[in-house]
Amino acid sequence: MKTIFRTLAAVVTLLVLCAVPCLAAGKLRVAASITDLASIAGLVGGDQVEVFTIARPTSDVHHVEVLPSYMVQVSRATVYLKVGLGLDQWADGIIDGSRNSKLMVVDCSKDITPLEKPTSVNASMGDVHPFGNPHYWLDPRNGAIVAKEIAEALAQRDPAHARAYEERAEAFAKAAEDTYERGRKLVAGMPVRAIFTYHSSWVYLANAFGLEIAGTAEPVPGIPPTAKHLQQLVDIAKQRKVPVLLQEPYFSDDAGKFLSRQTGLRVVKASPSCDGPVAGSYLTHFDTVLRLIAGQSSDAHAN
Amino acid sequence: MSRRFSLAILAVLLAAVGAMPARAGVVNPDISVLGQPFMRWTNDGSDPSPKRVTFDQGEVEMIYDAYLNPYAKGFFVASLASDGFALEEGYFTLVRGLPGGLALKGGKYRVNFGKLNPMHPHAVPFAERPHVLAAYLPGDEAFNETGLSISERIPLPGTFSLTAAGDVLQGDSFRTPREFSGATNDPLIAGPETGDRSAESRPAFVGLLSGFGSIGERSGYELAVSGTGGTNNVAAGTRTKVYDAAAKLKLWTSANSYLLIQSEVLKLDREKAGWDSVNSTYTVTRVQPLGGYLYADYNFSPRYDAGVQYERFQQPTADRTWDQAFGAFIGLSLMEETTSFRLDWNRLMPGTPTGASEDPKAVDTVTMRVIFSMGPHKAHQF
Repeated sequence: MKTIFRTLAAVVTLLVLCAVPCLAAGKLRVAASITDLASIAGLVGGDQVEVFTIARPTSDVHHVEVLPSYMVQVSRATVYLKVGLGLDQWADGIIDGSRNSKLMVVDCSKDITPLEKPTSVNASMGDVHPFGNPHYWLDPRNGAIVAKEIAEALAQRDPAHARAYEERAEAFAKAAEDTYERGRKLVAGMPVRAIFTYHSSWVYLANAFGLEIAGTAEPVPGIPPTAKHLQQLVDIAKQRKVPVLLQEPYFSDDAGKFLSRQTGLRVVKASPSCDGPVAGSYLTHFDTVLRLIAGQSSDAHAN
Repeated sequence: MSRRFSLAILAVLLAAVGAMPARAGVVNPDISVLGQPFMRWTNDGSDPSPKRVTFDQGEVEMIYDAYLNPYAKGFFVASLASDGFALEEGYFTLVRGLPGGLALKGGKYRVNFGKLNPMHPHAVPFAERPHVLAAYLPGDEAFNETGLSISERIPLPGTFSLTAAGDVLQGDSFRTPREFSGATNDPLIAGPETGDRSAESRPAFVGLLSGFGSIGERSGYELAVSGTGGTNNVAAGTRTKVYDAAAKLKLWTSANSYLLIQSEVLKLDREKAGWDSVNSTYTVTRVQPLGGYLYADYNFSPRYDAGVQYERFQQPTADRTWDQAFGAFIGLSLMEETTSFRLDWNRLMPGTPTGASEDPKAVDTVTMRVIFSMGPHKAHQF
């Protein structure tokens, strides 16, 4: 037993001495909870950053399991971009587990005006976020706010390129505005702008582009659809000719199939997050999702 | 009196949970309260109510955790059961600020030994911990001690995570009462504290090396080896050592379903103190039994899971008879861990001791647990 402890102690001592941050040569390593924040960081940071993301767009960002491999990745990062508003609380476990005392944690919701902020909240309302709906990145104008926050954070860590970060954030804001205008025009041309969503993830998208969410498949957030609730949606769909159910890829198909059978609506499967942590992916995702909703794409899936 | 006091504390804590949800984590600690009432049926002849359904309030856990400052976190788990109010865990963790990615934990905690021991019962899909852990590990309900733990994440290329940890513990849970020999010169005649010096402190030690590797985007496996040693009789100087090899595999089979397989193999090395009244000295006998468990739990949707378990282990007795146990379990969660119903069956088949004329009877136990919790739900860790 003593031998085991001595060996362990020797190994630990040796590793403490050689445990130095493994940074990519000359680049800031930026970790992000979701691909959207990583994509924005990739645009703002340009060649000066290397970005990676924790949650995949194909999985539910509400429920991310804290894997030790994530902690290892974040232990080598300089900046961590959190969604905030209580969505990615799992990120705290990863950040703490990374033991990275030099990590700058940026809450990207800091300057966002949240929608659906409840005046009071309790668990009978389902999985309601007390600080407001956290899916704010689904409005490109909020993406511009986030880009500014990211530019400021990168500038703190890398003052030599502060001006470049600021300029790229400004350019991103212009591109986000173009995406916003383009999307508004597309939705304005839709004969019916009412849609159903599965979960209340798409509130910011609807608010930004002029869509109306006529109902959600979940009776309350986090609770799977019930027969009674789906029948109510059938009635609404028939009355208002709701053409689309917008659904995340990780939810069950049953409700969508039922509504489609009963009312003829289309089920559009799209992730609330863009498909990769690469520059440009974030804004392209809006065009893709809106074209799917408008029926201008033959593919019924995004991500 | 103590029951009233406990209930009064629980009422205050429940009021605190209800009154301040929005501020939790800002200026107050996150507070969760968890109830675990259960119904049980067993044909165990040693049970006070064999072959009858019994109801039990179970253990109420009150969990508090918060950052103490930018470097440290605090964590408390208090439990209230029919036998009173107890501090189950209470420790601080220095999560950052130490050199080289070291982390330090101090206080009372479920020791990070093996894979199942650090887990709270409500997080385990079956009602009773495996018999082999109960037979080999120190402590009554878990290997839970007061001490200091230091751990280091060992930097490796890629995303494989390797962690080494070492603990120094108070070691009290290692004490095992010695059977009184009946001799007048046996020190136990003066009582265990005077005779066997059972109240004297002797430190215990734990070492752990654990590695995690990911498979694809979400799946992963973990392999760990750990060892612990402590004094079970101070006067006799006898020691208990336990070695453990653990493996866990979690495979996501779709966006919402996964298979979890977990196993541990344990080796106990226990010196047992006795008394030689002729020579007026302690005697030492040694048992070195081996055993392990395996369970598989398939979560076929976020709400439902089902699984089976098996264990086989040698009793820590001189003849080291092999016991076996089978089990099966199913669970339904209404919404994450807020309200869960868990049903499980376990069949323990004790081995036949040397010289026994007939096989001991198998013991069947069926348990229906309801686990309900209020307060914030923390992220799930692999």
